[in-house]
Amino acid sequence: MQPDAAALPRGSRLGHAIGQNIGLILAGAILALAVAGFLLVYSIEQHRLPGNFELTSTVNNAIPLVFAAVGQSFVVLTRGIDLSVGGVVDLANALAAVTMGKSLGGALLWSAVILAVGAACGLVNGLLVAFGRLQPIVVTLATLSIYQGLAIRVLPAPGGAIPPAYTNLLVNPNAPWALVYIGLLVLAWAGFRRSRTGVDLYAIGNDEASARALGVNVLRTKIIAYMLDGALAAAAGLFLAASATAGDATTGNSYTLTSIVAVVLGGVSLFGGRGSAAGAIAGAFITTLIVNILFFSHVNPLYQSFYEGVFLIVAVVLGGAIGGAIRRRR
Amino acid sequence: MRTLTVDTRRILYAIAAAIGLFVVGEMAHPGFLSGPSVASILVIASFVGLVAAGQCFVILIGGIDLSVPWVMNAAAILLTTTSLGKNTGAPEAIAAALGMGVAVGVANGIGIALFGIPAVVMTLAANGIVEGLTLGLSGGFTCSSCSSYAPPLIQTLAHGSLLGIPDALWLWAFVTALVSGALAVTRFGRATYALGTNPLAATLAGIDARRMTILLYALCGGFAALGGIMLVGFGGQASLGLGDPYLFTSIAAVVIGGVNILGGRGNYLGVAAGAVSLTVLVSVLLALSMPDYVRSIAYGVVILALLLAYGRENER
Repeated sequence: MQPDAAALPRGSRLGHAIGQNIGLILAGAILALAVAGFLLVYSIEQHRLPGNFELTSTVNNAIPLVFAAVGQSFVVLTRGIDLSVGGVVDLANALAAVTMGKSLGGALLWSAVILAVGAACGLVNGLLVAFGRLQPIVVTLATLSIYQGLAIRVLPAPGGAIPPAYTNLLVNPNAPWALVYIGLLVLAWAGFRRSRTGVDLYAIGNDEASARALGVNVLRTKIIAYMLDGALAAAAGLFLAASATAGDATTGNSYTLTSIVAVVLGGVSLFGGRGSAAGAIAGAFITTLIVNILFFSHVNPLYQSFYEGVFLIVAVVLGGAIGGAIRRRR
Repeated sequence: MRTLTVDTRRILYAIAAAIGLFVVGEMAHPGFLSGPSVASILVIASFVGLVAAGQCFVILIGGIDLSVPWVMNAAAILLTTTSLGKNTGAPEAIAAALGMGVAVGVANGIGIALFGIPAVVMTLAANGIVEGLTLGLSGGFTCSSCSSYAPPLIQTLAHGSLLGIPDALWLWAFVTALVSGALAVTRFGRATYALGTNPLAATLAGIDARRMTILLYALCGGFAALGGIMLVGFGGQASLGLGDPYLFTSIAAVVIGGVNILGGRGNYLGVAAGAVSLTVLVSVLLALSMPDYVRSIAYGVVILALLLAYGRENER
């Protein structure tokens, strides 16, 4: 059993820091490999290095998954899992397309409402998990179906409109401005991690019974985790709508599974208590870059999911082996 | 003994829910409870039931199989392309499809038991791998043999009937007896429950946890393939995404059938009742000509209601 990093004194040895953050370090290594792989494939194919356009499109493609994955990581850290992420992305996407209209001001106002709707979806999940004493996987399986249904009710057929100014603000096509949002997300996470709730979150993921015995408010912390998850999934839906400049009540479905993949690749343990938002962000970029690499390698798109599946297994097995070896050597 | 009564009660709840939904259907749409209507609903439920049998095995040891959809799809396309719609090639085609399902299951089991990959991750990756291979090798279902029909033998199995009862239901009854029997009275069944309740204790008691895990995932893959075979027999041709709805439905059937998602408790009889409940629910909503979104919402609400009614974790 690894002790919770937060429970240890600050400034402990470097080796200890490596051991504690091995998941994040491995995720960084995989991300570096993915970037290198992309640069290699791209320059062979295009006879030049990728520039501003490629960077911008990669960031803009990755950002919905970044938000969905960070949301997922909150719940996974409590040793839960959220299968309803895709449904919340769908619902936010559909609401955005229907409500935003033409003006930027209205769009921003509605964005706040939609984030609140996402948090409310998370609240329902959290209440059912915490007070209903039901397993997260079955609760969110059921609410996935409900949120997907609501999304289709809101927007029965793809369509609606997103103001161009809103698209430029969220996913500017000319420069990777969207990185600012990722920076804000990291800052917010860093603050949260040091807050009482953040520490409690890790405590619950490591050992729920001990956390409860030490006075952690398990119910409250879990509900907050699910609400943050829901709000971030809704943010993913907003970015998705901004990219597509229209809505579709089904495009979000894939985010349930890709957010789990990103979290796993980012070194967040599905058994709770270990990992970070930075890891989840790295995982989201790895997932996006793999798709780019396959595209520029001229892999038959029909085989795409085959290579993604193989990559996921290899990454998890190698990551587990390297992480295990380092932990044993300490 | 107390656990036994709780488990039995859960099975009875699942059966009561199925009957209750049938009654609601009759009230909402007279004629719903007629013989042919009930038979056709049960046939559809049998496909869910077959897939859920496999899912039940792995959930009993606290696992899960997300590779079900594309194993079903791959089995369906493998069956039609190897038999080319002829009965002569049917046995080999069935063997190939089931063998493929078992092989994927063995791979899942090895990844989980020997390499320690979380079940969610391993089976999710396996689903992608099978999807990619199926789409790639069949050229996205555009190959010349891809439009072949299922052999008449299989189509008869899915559509025909014996002594007034559909063949598919005979098959399901046989599977139900086999699975329930195996879980209730054999060494295999006891080992499965032991492993799901406490893996460490089970290992200390002499159960080969790795071998059991691989075996159970292999069975799950085999049952998913069987579901795919029956489904293509029912529909005639293999279609893209044929297995997709069965992922969540199979898990939902297992859970509302009273099987603990953390493993160790539950019985296939409850799962079969769960499969019937879910199918009746969809049929009722269809009979009421509800729009898609209502079906989707009602599905989620009913699953939650059933779970809150009896699916609570009652361990302290």
